[in-house]
Amino acid sequence: MNDTRTTDGETTERNLVETINRTLADEMRNDASVRLMGYDIGPIGGVYRTTEGLYDEFGGDRVIDTPLSENGLLGTAVGMAMRGERIVPEIQFMGFFYPAFGQFMYTLVKMHERSGGAFDVPMTVRMVCGGGIKASEYHSESTETFLVHTPGVRVVYPSGPREAKGLLAASIRHDDPVVFMEHKKLYRTHREPVPEEEYTLPLDEARIARTGEDLTLISWGAMVRHAETAADRVDADVEIIDLRTLSPLDIETVLESVKKTGRCVVFHEARRTLGLGAELTAVINEYAFDRLHAPVQRATGYDVHFPGNQIEEAYLPDPERAQYAIEAVMNYEF
Amino acid sequence: MALWSEQKPAEDFYRVLAPDGTLVNEPPGLEEGELRELYRTMKLTKRFEDKALKLQRAGEVSIISRCRGEEATPLGAAAALEPGDWCLPLYRQRSGLVYWNVPLERQLVGLMGAEPETIDEHLPDDLEEPDVNFSPIYVPLGSNLPNTVGSALADKLNGRDTVSLTFVGDGSTSEGDFHEALNFAGVFDVPAVFVCQNNQWAISVPAHRQTASETFAQKGDAYGIPNERVDGNDIFAVYEKAKEAVDRARNGGGPTFIECVTYRIVEHNTADEPSVYRDEEQREYWLERDPIDRFEAYLLEEGVIDADTIDAMEDAIDERIDEAVEIARDVPTSSPELMFENHLRGTSWKERHQRAELQRELDGKNPFVDWTGEGFE
Repeated sequence: MNDTRTTDGETTERNLVETINRTLADEMRNDASVRLMGYDIGPIGGVYRTTEGLYDEFGGDRVIDTPLSENGLLGTAVGMAMRGERIVPEIQFMGFFYPAFGQFMYTLVKMHERSGGAFDVPMTVRMVCGGGIKASEYHSESTETFLVHTPGVRVVYPSGPREAKGLLAASIRHDDPVVFMEHKKLYRTHREPVPEEEYTLPLDEARIARTGEDLTLISWGAMVRHAETAADRVDADVEIIDLRTLSPLDIETVLESVKKTGRCVVFHEARRTLGLGAELTAVINEYAFDRLHAPVQRATGYDVHFPGNQIEEAYLPDPERAQYAIEAVMNYEF
Repeated sequence: MALWSEQKPAEDFYRVLAPDGTLVNEPPGLEEGELRELYRTMKLTKRFEDKALKLQRAGEVSIISRCRGEEATPLGAAAALEPGDWCLPLYRQRSGLVYWNVPLERQLVGLMGAEPETIDEHLPDDLEEPDVNFSPIYVPLGSNLPNTVGSALADKLNGRDTVSLTFVGDGSTSEGDFHEALNFAGVFDVPAVFVCQNNQWAISVPAHRQTASETFAQKGDAYGIPNERVDGNDIFAVYEKAKEAVDRARNGGGPTFIECVTYRIVEHNTADEPSVYRDEEQREYWLERDPIDRFEAYLLEEGVIDADTIDAMEDAIDERIDEAVEIARDVPTSSPELMFENHLRGTSWKERHQRAELQRELDGKNPFVDWTGEGFE
């Protein structure tokens, strides 16, 4: 998928919920094989209202409420995808995804490969993730590492409405299975101009959100806006990479940037141990070691279960944590 | 040790053909040619698996799970399908695959451990392909079941009169996938047929350790799905009930769950040794209820076959198997780089780099000397 945006098109201020909703509707109008499946996505319009109005427009055969079983949902969706339907299942909370790990591992990521390419699984799993809305335990998870560790699936993670529109359209149209991460904190907290035209964005290219010379700050999802805030506050010229796609990783963009700046901080909401920051740090160590002026630092969540409402802010990475990491790396001396 | 493993007496089920080959119910109205074809399929399956076992002993095949003694169940079920239907099998349904002409060569090269890309590239183009659509064989037990529901739901929503049929063992009815799939199938009322091939053993664990239900069939009741319990070693009983189920599904009547009671008279697979965990007495009891022997006795009695036709049939079968083995042996060993194929479309830095690393390793060169990420020299 290419970046098909035109530069001078009309835009409207929208949040992520509206953008997801409108993009789903566009794709369903474009292609009769696109069907949504999940819980509470029908008449109620989704617990976050991302599917509001779609049941009325497209009916119960295209917007399908299912029994309450993540594994049954995913397994049924894979079977439909094997038969040429373009299924978009919604996992209402990433913390409840784990019962579906069987179908994820056995069929969703494997069917294409073990059939020698004979079977496609063209589905886009909308995975609602992330913390920061006082949603309580099991409702705030960022365990994308489980997905990224597994070959055979793209993992796409928009940082805001404008990116989400092109990435979601591209994901639905793509013949590879995709997990499309939607951070629920982004749903309503931020509006930005979103082009009215339909467009796709590539599913393997990071975005340089800001260019800079002193330090590369790698981030994705809800952390990108915190990264921008941190970059505004520090006394350094920070380059921000919004990864957009976590699998496959855009290593070229990462290495090119780090070789230029010589310093790097990876900034993610997920736990630290074997979080994607570990992989990025390893790759930078392997291929840009002699360009580094300082060790790579990781500003992340802690290695704990996501805490309760009263203390979740202390867990969540914020601009201040990113700022500390940037300052530490900038002040490092061999 | 009991002579069967389930809670309910094994022989409390629907039967047409008694173990001695006599009729106890009205047989399905099959032509003589169709009867001979069913019989030939059983014989071919058995002799093919005998051959594969020899190849396994000789190191040419890595591992095989045989359906010896259970041939009537997958065969009767698959024979109820029509061209264009779908079948999502596990690894012990070979007679069903053979019936629909999944090429023996393709099955053999798969057993030899070749990558699917190698099989597609090197098998002759003119092999007859099946008229029924087969998914890849599923190995994680139960994972085929939700996919079958999806396959059937896709047909239903598109108004197609296609049927999806799948299999589950006695053991894998304990998997969550089984319950989730039957639940979804009932709720969406999909055109699917679920066949429980109850061979009474999940490797070393007997059926009564899988469930406290009196039968497996009755599990369908919990999901609002019509169910049957049949003699799985009786080709007529299996075919008749499967045909009813397939016809009902095709006509909008929804899913069916059929328990076929059979017995795994052989090992789970070639890495297994059943004498460690079960008595010979039980096996002998079930050997007397062999599906091929009883069908053969019936066909001989009815004059559909005779000793000469059996001889001629066996010669033709062995010739066909030998031909398949030769063709399979001609397929070259898979190239290592094929491991990277068909993961994601397009390419990525990591894929390219790891391909290059593997190639260097194969060439006897150090794959760890790229310090810039820009490639090797």
